[in-house]
Amino acid sequence: MKKTSTTSKKSWWSKLLVLFCLWACMPGAALGAGGDAPRAVIERTSSAVLAVLADKSSSADEKRRKIQDIVYVEVDFETLSRLVLAQNWKRLSPEQQKEFVEQFRQHLALTYGRNVDNYHNEKVSIVGDREEKGGDWTVQSKILRGGADDISLDYRLRQKDGQWRIIDFIIEGVSLVSNFRSQFQEIIANGGPEHLLELLRQKNATGEPLKS
Amino acid sequence: MIRARGVFSFLAAVMGSALLMSCAAENFRPDYDPLEPMNRKIFWFNDKVDTYVLEPVATGWDWVMPHVVQRSISNFFTNLRFPINTINDLLQGKLKHSAVDVGRFAVNTTVGVLGFFDPATGWGLEAHQEDFGQTLGVWGVPPGAYLVLPIVGPSNPRDAVGLAGDYAMSITPFFVNQFILLGTRVVDVINTRSLLLQPVRDAKAASLDYYTFVRNAYFQRRKALISDANEGFKPSNEEDIYHVEEELVE
Repeated sequence: MKKTSTTSKKSWWSKLLVLFCLWACMPGAALGAGGDAPRAVIERTSSAVLAVLADKSSSADEKRRKIQDIVYVEVDFETLSRLVLAQNWKRLSPEQQKEFVEQFRQHLALTYGRNVDNYHNEKVSIVGDREEKGGDWTVQSKILRGGADDISLDYRLRQKDGQWRIIDFIIEGVSLVSNFRSQFQEIIANGGPEHLLELLRQKNATGEPLKS
Repeated sequence: MIRARGVFSFLAAVMGSALLMSCAAENFRPDYDPLEPMNRKIFWFNDKVDTYVLEPVATGWDWVMPHVVQRSISNFFTNLRFPINTINDLLQGKLKHSAVDVGRFAVNTTVGVLGFFDPATGWGLEAHQEDFGQTLGVWGVPPGAYLVLPIVGPSNPRDAVGLAGDYAMSITPFFVNQFILLGTRVVDVINTRSLLLQPVRDAKAASLDYYTFVRNAYFQRRKALISDANEGFKPSNEEDIYHVEEELVE
């Protein structure tokens, strides 16, 4: 008895949250290609992702798909991939580069999509933003899990064609780009670009398949 | 209650760090790992110990223990780290943080029932994660080559010296039997691991080379912990990972 009442209360809240997010997204959508400031991009993205996570009515696969749709728009995977491969980027043929971007994107989607069911109503707060040397922008956020367990998550954004898009995620001071760069440098140094692509293909093939 | 013997190991740690400063590797970079073949072997060994001993035990622990209890045990041991946090705050010249950490210990030990609960955070007394390795970093000691220690895990000469310093600063109730102390240490390790089951699984799934993943994450995390303590501190020859074009000129 008690349980049903709390669940319905929760779903009511999540509906309100979704409505609120839709409302919050509207100015951004209306501005269209005009482009939001970096901070607004992160605000819009994180509230849209949270709304999907909190939506009790969709299955884990639906949630993954919806989050992917959001993330694919807001993240500049091409730039991210170039930064990750760094000096090694030019060692790949144009076809290999294309395949790398796609495989790497899939790898990130698979590994980070695993946790859609582990959402426990964490909230996100944007705590600050600053311009970086060279024109990039960093937006700092905190995933609120109650005091000492808060996780700091920073986004680095770069403007391309008037649009600010995410090029790196920094979790508790650990940059995703820097981390994958180290790994891929090691792999390419030992086995060349084809070895890296082969490893990515293998990883993605054994990863949890995404049902449409 | 800081043991007298601790003073000697603390002195040893300071002397050790002076030694490190004098022979600081000049060509130090983020993935500086000249001992990689040996490190990989020890890493492999640690991973096996974790996979076949620690992780199964922690999984059982996680299954038996309610999450609230796991959190409380974690709080208890974190609270006992109070002298380490406070002394290192002071050594880094952060007087305000040290006062906050003393306040945290006072509140959590009393109102928080021996540290099992953490009301202090809710009252705005935020925790600071400090250790002697970080202090050495703030003092300008470079980390040196990456080092994987048996059982302990990722480290470097600076942080290994730091561990000795932390040991000297830690609370060791002299009246408690050695075996009971060992027992509580085991509980601490198992409980901590039980709270990390999912993150470790995720990390293994997300990485293509787990060894390099951990090495890089350790380096970045330590750097972040040190620089938050000392605004503006940056390793001298830090590479700019966001501007590849310049790097392409070899």
